[in-house]
Amino acid sequence: MRTEGGGALRWALVGPTLLLLVAFNVFPLAYNVFLSFTNAELVGEGARSVGGANYARVFDDPLFAAALRRTALFVVVAVGVELVIGFGLALALKRDFRGKAFVLTTLLVPMMLSPAVMGLYWSLILNGNYGLLNQVLAGLGLGEPQWLTDRDLKFWSIVLVDVWMWTPFMMLIALAGLSSIPPSIYEAAAIDRAGAWTTFRRITLPLCAPLLGLAVLLRATDALKQFDLVMAITGPNDGGTQTLSALLYQIVFRDGKVGLGSAYAILVLVVVMALATVFTRYVDRLRGAEAVR
Amino acid sequence: MSAPENREAFVRPPALELRGVTKRFGAGASAGRGARALDGVDLVLGEREFLVVLGPTGAGKTTLLRTIAGLETPDAGSVALHGRDARALAPADRDVALVFQNFSLYPSATVRENLAFPLAAPARRLSRAEIDERVAWAAKLLHVERLLDRPAKKLSGGEMQRVAIGRAIVRRPKLFLMDEPLTNLDAKLREELRVELRELARELETPVVWVTHDQAEALTMADRVALLVDGRIVQTGTPEDVYARPNSPLAARELGTPPMNLFDVERKDERWITADGVELARADAGAPERATIGVRPEHVLLDGGPSDAVVHVVEDWGPSRVLFAHVGAHALHVLAPRDCALRAGDRFRPTFDVRRVVVWPRA
Repeated sequence: MRTEGGGALRWALVGPTLLLLVAFNVFPLAYNVFLSFTNAELVGEGARSVGGANYARVFDDPLFAAALRRTALFVVVAVGVELVIGFGLALALKRDFRGKAFVLTTLLVPMMLSPAVMGLYWSLILNGNYGLLNQVLAGLGLGEPQWLTDRDLKFWSIVLVDVWMWTPFMMLIALAGLSSIPPSIYEAAAIDRAGAWTTFRRITLPLCAPLLGLAVLLRATDALKQFDLVMAITGPNDGGTQTLSALLYQIVFRDGKVGLGSAYAILVLVVVMALATVFTRYVDRLRGAEAVR
Repeated sequence: MSAPENREAFVRPPALELRGVTKRFGAGASAGRGARALDGVDLVLGEREFLVVLGPTGAGKTTLLRTIAGLETPDAGSVALHGRDARALAPADRDVALVFQNFSLYPSATVRENLAFPLAAPARRLSRAEIDERVAWAAKLLHVERLLDRPAKKLSGGEMQRVAIGRAIVRRPKLFLMDEPLTNLDAKLREELRVELRELARELETPVVWVTHDQAEALTMADRVALLVDGRIVQTGTPEDVYARPNSPLAARELGTPPMNLFDVERKDERWITADGVELARADAGAPERATIGVRPEHVLLDGGPSDAVVHVVEDWGPSRVLFAHVGAHALHVLAPRDCALRAGDRFRPTFDVRRVVVWPRA
């Protein structure tokens, strides 16, 4: 068998992918960089170069700083809570019991639904006047918090929905991690008189950590671009919930400032790329660790 | 089974005593059906005794150890440790150490942490200094001192096994349980550790139940060997006992490489003759009419016998040669000296060393 294909065959095989990559990744990125140095608008006259003015504005923009802080808070809190609850659920569901398959399937449902649709549903549930949650709370005499309009609450409402949606994902990965630990290690620990806490801290946690780390990275990159829930629950231009993606959307598609928005996008890209580097390094290290096992 | 040979057993309760231990697995196990992993096992282990349980794969060896350790609950029978009924004791409270066949180290922890782990249980109330001292002692004994700060997952198989054994000895348990601890190692290391571990057990004065399918381990290490076949103990005794005087054809088949030659025979006057009329050896006048006789390959001489045999294959085993032959229709293994000139196709007249022939009466 020939291992070295002819030039023509090689290009025929790789060509389509390359073409798609250039059309949908390389060109848009290059064009975005170009736009970020102009004052292009969504509708209107041709763009003129403005030099680095857009970037200068980004750094002066209190909205950008606030969105950056808010997004970071969102990533840390939402992913953190998802990790803790998801891991806890996985520990609780590790053992076999009757109806386990049913419970697992039920728990996984939120993850499979469309975020935009779930955002709409939750905005119905959380609605301050006629929402299901407040009807229940009012019935119990616990008051009627304005989940979606209260300045201090609406951000947390979005965190809540994100946690509801993505905790199952953490649980699933944690379960995979738990089931990969050989039972004999636990038996050895039992014979060694290790208590429940020691067993958890010295065996369960370290052996699950690589997979959990992977799950956290996956979720963090995803949470970083949080958009659909914000869009569906409060809209993109809400001072209390505006994430980076929502801010970008607002500038480019509502305000029509394509040039300025492109500069924002480039900066967001830098942040994402930094995270992606951490991500790939981590995956490489995992693979390295796997190889010596 | 016979009473414990160990004299101490009369003053002190034995380190371990199993009576009628039965364990079933699989469908219907709780209802008394299911495959029987252990079937009425009786076993007594004296203080300081080194007992090797020898048996083929699937005989129930690991289940036996797990039952002693408390990781399995027997369906019937009793387990007593130092005279105490152990059935109600959790694994942690039995003060036994189990070395797993697959090592089961804590992979992300260092060797030092692995060794310290069994000592760190709050119930032991050991000071930091005592723990360090014991870890250092075990590491020195097992030659893993220079590995102390290495993560367990970066060790070689032999190193892992040493650490696994180290983890067992640091806490000076009342009983060692070893599940094929040398099986995953290469031959050279296996031989080395065999000697070292035998010494170690003697030094620590701790009784050992050592499970293996390796006959060499059983014969070289054991004070006493227990043959386990299909969940039953078929014979216990010193290595000399079980090798030279197997108590049944079943026990005879378990021990010896090449295996003992077994023939179903009838006695005609003073001769052993097979059903198809092949005369094999001289018989005592008082011997049973119908019997199974066994003779080890090293107790077959190459000439002077009553019948012809044909050599099929000659294997070179280094110090000796093994002849795979047939006498009549019956397979015959012979351990011959290295200078033996017989080759495939050659004929010879095998003589059994009658003092060494084992006779079991047959119905």
